[in-house]
Amino acid sequence: MTTKKARVPKAELIAVDGVDAAAVLADARAALGAPARGGISRWDASGVFQELAVADETAGAPSARTLLLLYAADLAFRLRWQIRPALAEGRTVVAAPYVETAMAFGRAAGLDPKWLTNLFRFAPRARTRRFVHSPRVRRKIKDGFVGFSCDRLAAVRTKQERLRMVDQTAALLRRRDR
Amino acid sequence: MRPTSAALRAARAHFTAPGNRRGLLVAFEGPDGSGKTTQRKLFKTWLQSEGYDVVTTKWNSSDLIKPIIKSRKSVRALSPEEFSLLHGADFRHRVEQVILPALWAGKLVIADRFLFTGLARDVARGLDLDWVLKLYEPLLWPDLVFYFAVSPATSGRRVTATRTPNFYEAGQDVTQVDDPVESYQRFIARVIREYESLALIFNMITVDAEQSIGEQHHLIRRLFLEGRQRPWSDWNADAVAEWLQQARNGAGR
Repeated sequence: MTTKKARVPKAELIAVDGVDAAAVLADARAALGAPARGGISRWDASGVFQELAVADETAGAPSARTLLLLYAADLAFRLRWQIRPALAEGRTVVAAPYVETAMAFGRAAGLDPKWLTNLFRFAPRARTRRFVHSPRVRRKIKDGFVGFSCDRLAAVRTKQERLRMVDQTAALLRRRDR
Repeated sequence: MRPTSAALRAARAHFTAPGNRRGLLVAFEGPDGSGKTTQRKLFKTWLQSEGYDVVTTKWNSSDLIKPIIKSRKSVRALSPEEFSLLHGADFRHRVEQVILPALWAGKLVIADRFLFTGLARDVARGLDLDWVLKLYEPLLWPDLVFYFAVSPATSGRRVTATRTPNFYEAGQDVTQVDDPVESYQRFIARVIREYESLALIFNMITVDAEQSIGEQHHLIRRLFLEGRQRPWSDWNADAVAEWLQQARNGAGR
């Protein structure tokens, strides 16, 4: 007698990275396909950056290093509450964004790649990596980690400096996609 | 931020210029109940009487990050990684906003706990020392680190004499022990074990914190007077140069 094996759902972590938060989310939805298959883990699920946004200006502007430590703390939260539980249930999770966006931002800010690699050492490797290279006007990059950070960085004061940071982050992500 | 050679030169020139009273960084480390804060206050008063311009910075006190940590601690929502990363962010922000500006201005900074607190607590929570240490790069080494050594029993007795340790202080997130006092005893033993290793590795000055307050204070004065003449550590060049570049590039200072 043969028994029919129960179908085991396939767990998969998909990373979608890019500077344009709206385009990253749209791509994450496309990558997920049917919502029943799993879910999307988005930036600032922990609310760390939301709290940072309302902090008093007298607290001083954060550096890229401080922002990346906070990004990593938020990612640790997402892994604990969203990504790992979903994978354990055999579901698909689209992390949008994941590690690459933060790494590119850090490199654009001049941080040592070795420091960045160590910082995200706790994050598991995504089975599939997708990059979104948005044609949107750079000035409109307001939302998401890159837009948020460029607006708050101590080292970014002028529109030109902001555009340079966005461009460099995007260029580094294009390079990672090759 | 990889510092430019110009920023490195400026950092070295500033801190090694002959004739300047350069900024000094003195860290007080040790477990809860070791009497650090009492000694820090006595030391500060004495330094001021000696004409030093003193700035104090405490662990987990940055105006930007502290509220974020506080809200998460209150709902017991932090994993060891999140705990470590948020305290690392708090430390980095204070280095950039409080410690380096004061040192640059020639002030004496007393740190009531320094990065060694993060290392000891995070490793006691099961995290890898190498990973945690690198979070704090570029490293800023104090001119002097006083380590206030007490036994786990003394720490536990002093802390619980006046209050019940809070959830994270007691390490209840990792011990899974319901009773905060019992959890504290287990957790602080691990923290002290890590501190003792760090004190050896990083050449801290160990103060027997079971001695009287007066004896400890006079020892600290004497060791400070001997140690303040130490040359500036070139290991700090990267940290100072990165901060200088940020200061030149943008606002916030």
